[in-house]
Amino acid sequence: MPGLPLDGVRVIDLTWIIAGPTATRFLADFGADVIKVEHEQAVDPIRLGRPIVGDAPTLNNSGFFNYINRNKRSILLNVRHPFGMDLLRRLIAVSDVVIENFSAGTLASWELDYPEMRAINERIIYCSISGFGHTGRDRDHTTWGPTAQALGGLTLTSGLPGKPPAGWGYSYMDHTAGYSATIAILAALHHRARTGEGQHLDLSQVEAATVLNGPAVLDGTVNGRSWRREELPPGNRSWEPAVAPHNTYPCLGEDRWIAIAATGDPEWEALVRAMDDPAWARDERFGSNAARLANQDALDERIAAWTSDRDDYELMALLQAAGVPASVCQKPGDRVERDPQLAARDWWQTLPHPEMGETRHDGVAPRLSATPGSLRRAAPLIGEHTREILAETLNLTEAEIDEYAEAGVFM
Amino acid sequence: MSGPLEGLRVVEICGELGQYAGKLLADLGADVVKIEPPEGSEARRVGPFVNDEPGPNRSLNFWYHNTNKRSAILDLDGSESDRDLARALLARADIFLESLPPGRPAALALDYATLAATNPGLIHCALTPFGQDGPWAGYRVTDMVALAAGGPMNMNGYDPTDAPGAPPIHGKGDQAFNTGAHYAAMGILTALVARDATGEGQYLDCSMHEALSSTTEVGLPHWLYTQTNIIRQTGRHAATIRTEPWIHRARDGKDVLVFNIGRSNESWGKLKLWMQSHGFGANFDESRFDDPMNRMAARGTPEAKEIFEEVSRFITALDAEDVYRGAQACGLPWGTVRSPDEALGDAHLHDRGHFVATTGEGFEGEALMPGAPYVLNATPWELRRPAPRLGEHTDEVLAELRGPTPE
Repeated sequence: MPGLPLDGVRVIDLTWIIAGPTATRFLADFGADVIKVEHEQAVDPIRLGRPIVGDAPTLNNSGFFNYINRNKRSILLNVRHPFGMDLLRRLIAVSDVVIENFSAGTLASWELDYPEMRAINERIIYCSISGFGHTGRDRDHTTWGPTAQALGGLTLTSGLPGKPPAGWGYSYMDHTAGYSATIAILAALHHRARTGEGQHLDLSQVEAATVLNGPAVLDGTVNGRSWRREELPPGNRSWEPAVAPHNTYPCLGEDRWIAIAATGDPEWEALVRAMDDPAWARDERFGSNAARLANQDALDERIAAWTSDRDDYELMALLQAAGVPASVCQKPGDRVERDPQLAARDWWQTLPHPEMGETRHDGVAPRLSATPGSLRRAAPLIGEHTREILAETLNLTEAEIDEYAEAGVFM
Repeated sequence: MSGPLEGLRVVEICGELGQYAGKLLADLGADVVKIEPPEGSEARRVGPFVNDEPGPNRSLNFWYHNTNKRSAILDLDGSESDRDLARALLARADIFLESLPPGRPAALALDYATLAATNPGLIHCALTPFGQDGPWAGYRVTDMVALAAGGPMNMNGYDPTDAPGAPPIHGKGDQAFNTGAHYAAMGILTALVARDATGEGQYLDCSMHEALSSTTEVGLPHWLYTQTNIIRQTGRHAATIRTEPWIHRARDGKDVLVFNIGRSNESWGKLKLWMQSHGFGANFDESRFDDPMNRMAARGTPEAKEIFEEVSRFITALDAEDVYRGAQACGLPWGTVRSPDEALGDAHLHDRGHFVATTGEGFEGEALMPGAPYVLNATPWELRRPAPRLGEHTDEVLAELRGPTPE
C-alpha cells in the first residue's frame, strides 16, 4: 500500500461544527494524524446532528458527524482542569498544526494565543477560523456559514428576479472556509519544510466569501454598477458570459429538472439537431446568441415544452452525445443511486462503525497517483482514543493515565 | 516577507475552469506562467468588460482570476516548436496545472508520462469537469451544469409559498469552478508537502464533479442514512422538514438573515432589551418567555410564533445594517444580505486591508477588489502585479528558457 502524503503531520483539532472539521477531514483523508480534542461538557453539536441512527442521540450515532469526521481520532480532555490544560500544552509541543474555529479571543482566554503556542512549540502552525478574523473592529462578531454567505454577497447573487434571495440552501461557506484553511495550512507546512518557521494563519469566514465574487465587485469599482438592480439576480439565466439558452427546464416526474446551456452557435446548432430540428428554432429571433438573449422568454418556453414530457437522464445522455452542456439537477439520492460517473469511479465506500454498523461514505478527491488519500476508519467515538494517544504521543504509562482519569481530566 | 510558495514554478493551461486555482498559487508567491493560445484564454472573452467594450485585456473576470501571473502565447494546437517550448518550460517546472479535456495532453505530448520522464519531481494536476475516466468523462459543462450534476444546485431554491414550482437555483459567481479550484489547490499542495519529504512528484486526477459532490453538507448524510431527499427552502438550509423563514426585509428594502432567535438566555435577554428600546416586544417580560424550550421555533409553541412575528415587525422598522449590527451586539449571528460590491462599505474589512487595488486596459486609476482569503502572518498573501495582458511575458519567459537552468 502506498504511503499517505501527510503521514507524519500531527494536527491538534480543537474545531467543531462544520468549517474547521471540513479542513481536518481533508487533512485526515490524506494521512494527517488528526486528534480531535473533545469535552463532554461542550460536545461538538454535530455529535447530536441529524440523521441519527437509532431512537435517540448517543453522541456516537450521528450520520452527519460520521460523514465529516472520518479518519480522525478523539481524545477527551477537560481543559478547564489544570492537568487537562497541561496535557493539551504537551500535545501541542509534539504537534505540527493546531486548528480551532472558536470566536476570536477564545484561545487567548485559555492563555493559548499564538505567542504562547509558539513558546511551547516554535515550529507550530496555528490556524484560527473565525467569522471576521482576529483583527479589525468587528472581530467579536459571530457567523454561521449562511451569515458569511449573506455578508460576502453570495446569497443575493443566487435567486430568481423579483423574489427573495434563495442562496445557498446549505453552509457553502462552512465547506469553503474549511477549504481555504486547508490551503493556508498546507502552504504553511511547505514553507516550514523549507525554513523551519511556523506561523499564525488568521482565517475570516467572511473574507473567504467575498473573494468568491471578485468580478462582481470589479463591475462595481470599474463600471460603477451594483448587483442591486432590477434584472439581477437573473435566476438560472446567465450573468457572464452572457449566453442563451442557459436555464433549468422541467422534465417528466415531480421536481425533476435539467440544466441546459449553449455557450455559442455550435452548441446551439447541436441542441437544435438534438431536438429534431423544430421549425421554431429557425426563427430569426433565435438566429444568434444576441438574438437568443433578447428573446429568452420565448426561447425558454419552447425548450421547456420539449423537455417537460421527457426523462431527465435520457435527455442528458441525448444532449451530451450531441455536444450540448446539460445535466440533471441531481438530488443526493440520484448521486448515490443513479449517477453512473460516480459509480464508475468507485466513489461510494463503506466503513464499519461500532454503533452504526457498516456506514456509507463518499470518496476522496482529488486522486493522487503516488500517494492517494484513503478511508481508513469511521468517525471516532467520543474519547475513543484518549489512552492510546497519550501513551503514543506523550509516552504516558497506564498508571499515569489512570491517575489523570481519577482526577477528572478525561471528561 | 514573501509568500509561502515563493520560488515555485507553475505552468498553467486553463480557461474558465482552473484559472482560480492558478490564482490561489500565484497569490501565495508562486511564479505562474499562463500559456495562452494566440487568440487568448477563453476567459478573456468573459464579461463584464471595462465600459462594456470586449477586448482581450478588458475582461474583469480575467483581471480578477489571473493576478500575479505571467502570460506567454504558445500555439500548442498548431505548432510543434511551440509544443517543444511548452515541454521545455515544464521540464523545469514544479507544478503543471491544466484543465484540458481528457486525452488532449497526450495528443499534445504534454501528458504526465512524457513530462515525468525528464522531470520526476513534477506535480501534474489535471482539473476536469468529471475526471479522466468514466462514462461522463467527455461531457461538457458550464458552471451551472456542473453545479446541477454535482448536487449543490439541488440544495438551493424556494419555499412553494415564495415561488411555486421554482427550479433549483444556480448561485452565481462561478462557484462550481471555484470549488473545483479549491480541490485542485488542496491536492497540489498536499502533493507538494509529500514531495518536500520524498522529492517525488505525481499526477493528480481532480474531478470537479467529485469536489462538488463533497460540498453539500447535510444533503448526502440524509440520503446515506435514511434514504431521504431534502427539500429546498428560501434563503436557508434545505432540510427534511420545512423550517421557519430566515429572510426578513428591513425598512430600506434590503434583506437580513435572521435565525437562532432565543436560543440562549444571554442573547435573548439582550435581544429583548434592544427591541424594547425601540418600542417592540413589550410583553416579552412575561415569564412564559423565560424558558428557552418555549422560544424554540422548531417546537411550534405559541411563544415562538409571537416572538417570530414581533421580530419580523421590528426588523421592518430598522435599516438592514442596523439590524445586523444590533443583533451582533446581542451575540446573534445575523447578517445583511449584501450585494458583492456592498462589502466595500464595511470598515472592518478595510481595517484588515482586505481590499486591494488593481488596474488594466481602459481604466484610469486603481479599482478595489477582494484580496486575501487568509492572513498568513509570516508569509503574507500579496498582490505583486495585476493580471497580465495577452502575451505580455512571452519574450521574457522564452528568454529565461534560453538562460541557465535554475537550481
